[in-house]
Amino acid sequence: MSAETSTVARILKPTILILIAVVAIASRLFSIIRFESVIHEFDPWFNYRTTQHLVKNGFYEFWNWFDEKSWYPLGRVVGGTVYPGIMVTSAIIHNVLHFFNFPVDIRNVCVFLAPMFSGLTAFSAYLLTKELKDSSAGLLAAAFLGVAPGYISRSVAGSYDNEGIAIFLLVFTFYLWIKAVKTGSAFFGLLTALFYFYMVSAWGGYVFITNLVPLHAFTLLLMGRYSNRLYVSYSTFYAVGTLLSMQIPFVGFQPTRTSEHMAALGVFGLLQLYAFAELVRGYVTPKQFKTLLKGGVSAVAIFAVVGLTVLSFSGVIAPFTGRFYSLYDTGYAKIHIPIIASVSEHQPTAWTSFFFDLQMLIFLFPAGVYLCFKELKDEHVFIILYSVFASYFAGVMVRLMLTLTPVVCVSAAIAYSTLLDTYLEKSEHVLASNLAGGARPTVAAATTTATVTDAPAEPKSKKAAARAAAAKAVESETKAKASTKESKETKEAKDSKKRFPIFNWDSRAMVIMQLTWFLFMFAWHCTYVTSGSYSSPSIVLASRQADGSQMIIDDFREAYYWLRKNTGEDAKVMSWWDYGYQMAGMANVTTLVDNNTWNNTHIATVGLAMSANEDVSYQVLRQHDVDYVLILFGGVIGYSGDDINKFLWMIRIAEGVYPNMVKESNFFTPRGEYKVDHEASQTMRDSLMYKMSYYRFAELYGGNAVDHVRGARMPAEGPTLNVLEEAYTTQNWLVRIYKVKDLDNIGRDLKDATAFDKGKVKKVSSLKRFVKA
Amino acid sequence: MMGIFSRKTIFLTLALAMVALFSTVSTGQAQPMTPEALLGKKVARLQAKATKGKGLIELDTVAFEEVLAMPRNYSMVVLFTAISPEFNCIPCLNFDPEYRLVASGWSKQTDKTRLFFGSLDFKVGQTVFQKFGMNSAPSALYFPPSGAPSSQPSLDRYDFQKSGFQAEEFAKWLNSRAETDIKVKRPFDFIGAAINILGVAGALFSAVMMYQKAGKIFGSRYLWSALSLFTIFVMISGHMWNQIRRPPYTIPGRGGQPGFIAQGFQNQLGLETQIVAVMYALLCGSVIALLGIVPRIEDPSKQRIAVWVSMGLFSLMFSVLIQFFKVKNPGYPFQLLFR
Repeated sequence: MSAETSTVARILKPTILILIAVVAIASRLFSIIRFESVIHEFDPWFNYRTTQHLVKNGFYEFWNWFDEKSWYPLGRVVGGTVYPGIMVTSAIIHNVLHFFNFPVDIRNVCVFLAPMFSGLTAFSAYLLTKELKDSSAGLLAAAFLGVAPGYISRSVAGSYDNEGIAIFLLVFTFYLWIKAVKTGSAFFGLLTALFYFYMVSAWGGYVFITNLVPLHAFTLLLMGRYSNRLYVSYSTFYAVGTLLSMQIPFVGFQPTRTSEHMAALGVFGLLQLYAFAELVRGYVTPKQFKTLLKGGVSAVAIFAVVGLTVLSFSGVIAPFTGRFYSLYDTGYAKIHIPIIASVSEHQPTAWTSFFFDLQMLIFLFPAGVYLCFKELKDEHVFIILYSVFASYFAGVMVRLMLTLTPVVCVSAAIAYSTLLDTYLEKSEHVLASNLAGGARPTVAAATTTATVTDAPAEPKSKKAAARAAAAKAVESETKAKASTKESKETKEAKDSKKRFPIFNWDSRAMVIMQLTWFLFMFAWHCTYVTSGSYSSPSIVLASRQADGSQMIIDDFREAYYWLRKNTGEDAKVMSWWDYGYQMAGMANVTTLVDNNTWNNTHIATVGLAMSANEDVSYQVLRQHDVDYVLILFGGVIGYSGDDINKFLWMIRIAEGVYPNMVKESNFFTPRGEYKVDHEASQTMRDSLMYKMSYYRFAELYGGNAVDHVRGARMPAEGPTLNVLEEAYTTQNWLVRIYKVKDLDNIGRDLKDATAFDKGKVKKVSSLKRFVKA
Repeated sequence: MMGIFSRKTIFLTLALAMVALFSTVSTGQAQPMTPEALLGKKVARLQAKATKGKGLIELDTVAFEEVLAMPRNYSMVVLFTAISPEFNCIPCLNFDPEYRLVASGWSKQTDKTRLFFGSLDFKVGQTVFQKFGMNSAPSALYFPPSGAPSSQPSLDRYDFQKSGFQAEEFAKWLNSRAETDIKVKRPFDFIGAAINILGVAGALFSAVMMYQKAGKIFGSRYLWSALSLFTIFVMISGHMWNQIRRPPYTIPGRGGQPGFIAQGFQNQLGLETQIVAVMYALLCGSVIALLGIVPRIEDPSKQRIAVWVSMGLFSLMFSVLIQFFKVKNPGYPFQLLFR
């Protein structure tokens, strides 16, 4: 294409890319402008805390870190249970900046990491799409991915989470893989492996690459497109990538043991066998080869089946892990792992979410897949596989919209740019190419030998030329095979009908104008979604008051700050696991459970303490040295994500471990409703969570309290607390902290002691009777 | 007052006399029947029945009352069911073999007098159903032994909604109640395995046979592209959500009209997703028409019509889609053709 090489294009392209990166970064800064440079949500607080630790104490200290302040009294081996990629990345950036005497605070590095990487993601989308179509489609893909809400949702400033860098790594690894398959160079295979390693170190979603790349290789094999390029690139990638990935302690020996890595190993083995068979074919007669093949195939099949069965029954190969298994058997998590089912990220995706996150891209996306089928080179096969599987996974789990978004952007960009090509193309150009007739088919037919035609076209250096020559040599082996296909494809291409330009300027104008308008709408949509839905830090809430002015609700930080300043260094604070990371990060206290939900029993114990009556709870609290209990209560301001609404999950998880002590059905009214007002069941009213939530709530409204979340009119007489005392309640009652009472110092039951303090008559009357006697 | 008293005394004396008579008669035949011995006899009878029914005792109203009569040193689990075809109770039929599986698992244990499995069909036990206020079947109740501490008046019911119809889950529930250790051992399904093996072999064989002839079909680009696009359309219109959440297909809306849009952003109906999938397909189809069909038309005026039609369809469907989305998300501020 002439446009690609012109000087203007050479200047324009980088400029556009830089502008795209700027837009991508800028559109992620809403929360900072509105609130401040602060870490968001839950998991990022842990990442932030570990990054701080890494920067302060160095890598080895971080690697061997045993965190005794979480999961009290168990503790947590942080170095071995974490994907260290994001922390190491921030630490490196921080240290480099400091080396050049830019005194940037580590918090700001963490806050801005995800937006910075989104710029890089846009660039890698450009590279990937350029491999599939051309650079103009690449620019579109970059622009789409830069602002698509599906990706912004996990990468706004302050959302310091693994996904922030992982999506860049995902797209870039895929780009490198396609490059490797196209060129058949071990160099690119190696680069793929290196970036795969980076991805493994950064996000658990690396399993997607681990399965998609082998699937691509396997499909190519099935399509009869085995080539030495494929062999070289896959073998390099698998061998190096797997060895590297095993260096991450959290991954360890999983690549050789768990079923989700078996596909990669299997395809690796298959490719070796195939290559070996190809080799043997050259040395024996066809008849002998046939016998050999039959024997070999059946021997290998029997060996594999027997080996796999023995290994999996003897337990060497572990079954699927729960989270992963729930992707395939969608009912699995619901029955077996309430803790997975309870996480909102693991819910299935409704169609509205797809549209909300991708707008017009969602229906341009299948059109792009269709175009990939038209071309169907090796790299297009990859995009098709990626599209189909990613859309399935995105449907099962909302969180995996993230892996779908890149391919949607790439594929929609291909469709969109083909539309633009068709309706902007100069008619003379089209006519010329039409007249040339046969010229097009031959180019199209050279699918399998793309490198041969491409590589010599721009021999930039001697090295490149040498590489091209090497590639050619590699190719020559498969040429014999390719040639038969070539003739077939030429025939196919000849059969396809001729293409004409768009003759009427009005048709062109209409299509182009509408498409441009849709682009505007897309940009507005993205900005609207980003600003309205994805830029809330969730530790600071904003609400509008009646007069339209903004009210900032900063109760979380208020509560955590209170904890930090008013509790001892070793105070143990119990809360539901959602707030564990935030408490550790902001309040610097010891927590019982946190968002790293590795120990279900421990979480269930906390659930038991929350859902049981005071006597049972007090035992649990004492056994775990709990000093304070922190809960969220949204009844005053109408914050629906509070603990009473999460309470059912606490009960369910507790019931899973302590079925004799907690029964879900007891928390419902006889009619099976979940009520908190005067209809609430006795078990519900006796539960510690209920008591903590509504303690003195009625007083606030003078006995006429209404819970604004559940729209329930509360009884005038609120619950009494015997084993806890209110320590702190924030401005809007969003966070309430209770102190666990110590044992009574004259040996009374805590219930009696409370009653006595309140001056209840019972004690007095019994005293009188005693006096009389 | 006097009358009542006298009637009571009469009754008492009569009863005493009968007991005496009974005891003399039995002493005449064998040694005296203590309550323990009576219970032992009952248990033996139950066990005989249970062995006959592979661990399961078929009950009717009379047998039910007898089995659950108060002094009992065994616990009892009773399945209230309606197997008879006239009730058309599909879950009953589904659960029946699972229940039998658990029962037979128990009957293989050595000490099987601690727990008995009963099954009461609605046909022969209507009065019991009424007595327990059962208005749905299947329903499984656990009755602990009369002396056990956990014997409370409230009914201990297995929750089919939550735990499902699997024998394993049921056994788990029972084990936690009766402190037993029932292991469900599914009999090896020879027929099923045979069908599977034959099916796989047949599929492989036909694939191999067809490979030469149908290689074109398997290798057909159209087939695979149709399959892939179909999968994508189904997935992006929220099919998996339906699979997992099982929403109704339609709901009765206002004025008796079937409503096809669910309230709430994170909620949807079966028909709703299908409409969305069709809209996506039309939108995508018009793009493909603009790309693939239009440039093949040689006649300029025909081509113009084709462009206008496809682009018109595209804009129209996009507007409809946005309107549709607005119903779900009323705050959405954008629109295309419609307001």
